[in-house]
Amino acid sequence: MKALQELAAKLLTEKTVQIVIGYEEGPRGVRPAFITRAEDADRLVFDSRCVQNLASYLSPRRNHLVPLGKKAIVVKGCDSRAVAGLIRETQVRREDVVLIGVRCGGVVRDPAADTTLTPDTVAARCAECDIREPKLVDHLIGDLPPAPPVNRKRDELIAALDAMSAEERWAFWQAELARCVRCHACREVCPMCFCERCIADKSQPQWIESSAHRQGNLSWQFSRVLHQAGRCADCSECERVCPAKIPLSLLMRKTSLIVRELFNYRVTDDPSVPAPIGAYRLDDKQEFIL
Amino acid sequence: MRTTTYLSQTNLRGLAEDLLTAGTRVVAPAKIGRAPYQQVDYQRIAKVEELAMDGALPSRPLKQFFMPPTEILLRWKQKKSDVEIEEISTQFPATVILGARPCDAAAPGIVDCVMNWDYRDELYFGRRDATTIIGLACGGFDKSCFCTAVGLGPDATAGSDLFLTPVDGGYHVDVLTEKGESLVQAHAARFSDSTGMDAAKRFHADARKKVESNLNPVPPAVRQWLESNFEHTLWESIALRCHGCGACASVCPTCHCFDIVDEARGVDRGERRRNWDTCQTSRFTVHGSGHNPRANQNTRFRQRVTHKFAIYPKKFEKILCSGCGRCARACPGGMDLPELLAEIERLATSAEAPQLRGERS
Repeated sequence: MKALQELAAKLLTEKTVQIVIGYEEGPRGVRPAFITRAEDADRLVFDSRCVQNLASYLSPRRNHLVPLGKKAIVVKGCDSRAVAGLIRETQVRREDVVLIGVRCGGVVRDPAADTTLTPDTVAARCAECDIREPKLVDHLIGDLPPAPPVNRKRDELIAALDAMSAEERWAFWQAELARCVRCHACREVCPMCFCERCIADKSQPQWIESSAHRQGNLSWQFSRVLHQAGRCADCSECERVCPAKIPLSLLMRKTSLIVRELFNYRVTDDPSVPAPIGAYRLDDKQEFIL
Repeated sequence: MRTTTYLSQTNLRGLAEDLLTAGTRVVAPAKIGRAPYQQVDYQRIAKVEELAMDGALPSRPLKQFFMPPTEILLRWKQKKSDVEIEEISTQFPATVILGARPCDAAAPGIVDCVMNWDYRDELYFGRRDATTIIGLACGGFDKSCFCTAVGLGPDATAGSDLFLTPVDGGYHVDVLTEKGESLVQAHAARFSDSTGMDAAKRFHADARKKVESNLNPVPPAVRQWLESNFEHTLWESIALRCHGCGACASVCPTCHCFDIVDEARGVDRGERRRNWDTCQTSRFTVHGSGHNPRANQNTRFRQRVTHKFAIYPKKFEKILCSGCGRCARACPGGMDLPELLAEIERLATSAEAPQLRGERS
């Protein structure tokens, strides 16, 4: 913690950056912090409640952050995959951001909870984490904590859904998606949803109806899932924000497993490795193309 | 009208059973989703077993039962150059909301003002009129609760037709309106002589104490400060952590902004719909020219706070907030309305500079 605070203060004092985006203690647990003065750097914290993927704040869509100047952000390994995605897709230039990597022992699902990691409290994405020590960084902070307990409930539910008949699975998703109110909060928090104009907002022609009825909700979720295939960094911020509590990360996770199977690709923290959607290979599978 | 009666736990379930059997729509806190994604939300229930009244604060308010996320305003059919309009019925089936938290029960009464302002919204009031609300006294949920700061409380009966307070083995019941009275009369066998008045008072006092410690009452000075500080430096960096996702508005019992869209249903017919919208997205105010008068998230957040605590009170003498705290709980970025209200109160009542933690360069 001290090392993190000292580094942030140094970066600000030396004017390497104008703002450090990290985590602080808020009224409800840990929340994103925006530090612009070195003397405020002692507010920075890092522990297992630091759930939020701060890479979202690098997205050029956050136009209220652009005038603040050059940013440093605190990244966990999983977050660094989203940063790599933004670099890969030319939204952020590597030299325009200072990445403060933190060695991570897993995070809980709810930043307002306590720090205790158990199979019930730990985030689903930590289960197969191979990047607890981020590599895409300018600075690396902290000692490597022990690996977190494993929560496989999400994959178990995916397996249960896979084992269902198509009708049962359809019924499951109908019930879940019926709650969608089309607020698009899932899109707004997503670091990889950076389109200046989302297809869901286009009205001439209206590709996707904006109404929260069956057709509109399905069209929207289908589109989002397909646009995220091989791009989603699995931070699950979409699921955490969903006011209707739709288990969106099930869709994202399942899609990533399909991409893995079809393209032998896992979302990586190496910005130079193209994502399947941005690459063409003669041996790309195409049986799924209708 | 204010009489009291008693409803045992068994009879509460019996009452729900009676209502369901009679074909009344019953909305109540119920579990949704599959493990590990289970939540409690207000849902239309089909079976008494679904009731989950003693659990957590339902994740969403009651708004969807008066103003659904999408609803049809009219249908049209085109015949050569004529257009035939089909009106939508404003008659709705009788509905009983069972176990509404005081913040949720009170909220529709606040929104009624705007829905009956320049014209009376028949769809909205059709549902309001068809609905009986059985409120449930709250024990205070967590530190984001601030109903007492906006003139309500965990024991506030505003908006409830009947009001239940948990006491030993059941509920002390306040009968508050004619709707409530007729519901009690129609199910008289379920209710018995009032007991537990003292226990109910103790429950209310404990809950009030818990919630009151979260935030001081919002003083009139906050409204005055908002009205005269549109350009204050506080706003310049108020929403750095805000993603503009609008989750706050989705889960807000009083946010009521909507969009109107026409959707074709084939080549010669279609429907006009009203869909939820939120001032927290850039699309909400962007002009056809591309100009956006609320150009960034700081200005959008200022709008949300100003509408709730100055513009709406100026028009209707009511704060557009029931203090449920869901905005703070839902925010992925950690924006916190109670924290901001405390800061505005401080600015309004002292000459100090802003010191809300963070964010000023």
